[in-house]
Amino acid sequence: MFLTRSEYDRGVNTFSPEGRIFQVEYAIEAIKLGSTVIGICTSEGVVLVVEKRITSPLMEPSTIEKIAEVDKHIGVACSGLTADSKTLIDRARLESQNHWFTYNEKMSVESVSQAVSNLAIKFGDSDDDEGAMSRPFGVALLFAGCDEKGPQLYHMDPSGTYVQYDAKAIGSGSEGAQQTLVEMYNKTMTLKEATKTSLTILKQVMEEKLNSTNVEVAVVTPTARFHMFSKEEVEEAIKDVA
Amino acid sequence: MNSEGGVRSFDSFATSLPKGERRNPITHTQAPVTTGTSIIAFEYDGGILMAADMLGSYGSLARYRSVPRLLKVNDKTVIGCMGDYADFQYLQAIIEQMEVDEACKDDGFQTTARSLHSWLTRVLYNKRCKFDPLWTTFVVAGLDQDKPFLGFVDKLGTAYTDPIITTGYASMLATPLIRKAVEDKLKDKNEKLTLAEARKVIEDSLTLMYYRDARASNKYQIAIIPSNGEASIIEEPKTLLGDWSVAHLIK
Amino acid sequence: MALSMMESNNRLIYNDAGQGPVQHQFSPYTDNGGSIVAIGGPGFAIIASDTRLTSGFAIYTREQGKLHSLTNAAVLGASGCWCDVLSLTRLIQARMKLYKHEHQKDMSAAALAQMLSTMLYGRRFFPYYVSNVIAGLDEEGNGVVYSYDPVGHCDKNMYHAGGSSGALLQPLLDSQIGLKNMAIKPTAPLTVEKALQITKDVFTSAAERDIKCGDGVIIRIITKDGIREETFKLRFD
Repeated sequence: MFLTRSEYDRGVNTFSPEGRIFQVEYAIEAIKLGSTVIGICTSEGVVLVVEKRITSPLMEPSTIEKIAEVDKHIGVACSGLTADSKTLIDRARLESQNHWFTYNEKMSVESVSQAVSNLAIKFGDSDDDEGAMSRPFGVALLFAGCDEKGPQLYHMDPSGTYVQYDAKAIGSGSEGAQQTLVEMYNKTMTLKEATKTSLTILKQVMEEKLNSTNVEVAVVTPTARFHMFSKEEVEEAIKDVA
Repeated sequence: MNSEGGVRSFDSFATSLPKGERRNPITHTQAPVTTGTSIIAFEYDGGILMAADMLGSYGSLARYRSVPRLLKVNDKTVIGCMGDYADFQYLQAIIEQMEVDEACKDDGFQTTARSLHSWLTRVLYNKRCKFDPLWTTFVVAGLDQDKPFLGFVDKLGTAYTDPIITTGYASMLATPLIRKAVEDKLKDKNEKLTLAEARKVIEDSLTLMYYRDARASNKYQIAIIPSNGEASIIEEPKTLLGDWSVAHLIK
Repeated sequence: MALSMMESNNRLIYNDAGQGPVQHQFSPYTDNGGSIVAIGGPGFAIIASDTRLTSGFAIYTREQGKLHSLTNAAVLGASGCWCDVLSLTRLIQARMKLYKHEHQKDMSAAALAQMLSTMLYGRRFFPYYVSNVIAGLDEEGNGVVYSYDPVGHCDKNMYHAGGSSGALLQPLLDSQIGLKNMAIKPTAPLTVEKALQITKDVFTSAAERDIKCGDGVIIRIITKDGIREETFKLRFD
């Protein structure tokens, strides 16, 4: 398999004869090594839960930040190379503020996803564009937000493709988690039920036991907008997870 | 760049000049040099008539007495220019090249008066934004989908369309004459001016300009842009004689 | 190049001849006149402009409307330096198309209002010499009026008069629409008919006093059902 690819898997600006850009596909593979992230969109709001891998007891868990606020009404969760995500999140924040500055209105979740996607595909090995990435970003993002169209969840991968989902899992446990989401999701879910469902699924795909230090939870609702769960709120949420 | 002072030496820095001398700032066109005066154009029953005299003035000197200020762009478009003659020639060269390029495509399309008017507006506006204006006023006449189009654009990029357009002193002296002719005909017969009537009005206007505008001359050209599908033409230059029988009464 | 005449040492001097070269000074700005009136009310907004385009004492054309319907819920009135008006309104229209394609929706009046402010301020040190007024409907479908200075200061109001007759008309609107300094104020809400009548009256008054205002008025009435247009004649001299 790798033998046949060898001619075309180095450059990001060369298609293989089958019409593939391997570096992009490899970047997508990198996500599957990342920690699991689950997002569910309900009529009441969107919930994001992530697994934090505490690889050493000497590590300070609160410094692993996998969920970030983009704007008051949009949050984002990432899986993959966390360092790459910082650049993309910075762009999301910048675009959102710029939109507010120019138009005095909230930027829609879709527009933020599109703006970030524009940066995600701006890679290439030329030296002309200083500051552009020489390789694809190794992260996938879940944008959760509430705009004039209501609560929405968008997924974006290293190829820059962004798609709206009712519920989506990314990262190492995503295959199993996505299957369970398909079984458990329904349109009439409350936000509370969605939080519980997402934590239940996360628990199933995680090696560690769920606790308030190794998961992060955030919700975005039309009224309270982006809200990151405190340690106490996380404990409260995982209490009744079977 | 500069071998002596390296990056710290600035070529344009005033201290490198001999003592007591000052270098002036970069200047753009701030005044026209050789100029043409008024353009007169208006719609008649079967198209548009445009006229301009052929004098190129150098200040108050009647320097060039036979310069054409009307340009046939294509069969359906004619433009006239008031103001700096060099700026007109500069744009004339560009427009003629655009027409050659367009003709080479051989796709059956040609520049319309409306699009040329829009293009000129953008060119003149962009130049004024650089504080380097083309010191000109253009009148664009032509057909746009078989309907007469008559547009004005000046050195700032001020643009409008109207059935009667005159520039310079003609806007004060000739416009009332033309409006009266058009309105009288409309009131009496509910008709537009015929070509013959329009020609009479435009020649009267040119005579008036010759009498009263010190930068006008008696040699002129008329352009006809017919709306019946025939090609537009710029006629051969003609000369006005005027009536000087009362001249001896003026001291 | 005025042909003025000066007397000095009992000698007539014609400024036009023999006194050295004539100096032209290029100014990128000119005042082409034009007046805008906008009034917002419950469920409607109206905006009107005269149709005269001038340059000094000359009338360029009597048929130049100054209103631009930008969306189904917003109309822009712009007057002042006409070349800037032409460029600015085209730029706005291009920006609105880009917005529509980027965000898959029409711009709201509020978004348009903010964008215009940033566009004007973007040219803070070479301003668009334009008096802008936007009339439109807000999210609830009620009339709003946004007015601007040339460098982007934006004011949200219920009525505004801008352009060459702005200073002439604003006090009239303050009285008749704003009901300022009235001992007994009418309580009935403003109707389209009343707003239209006042608009026609104030333009008729302005045409009497301002040489840059005249020839005709174009009025656009914005309601949830769309935009309707009316015209009205002014003195033609």
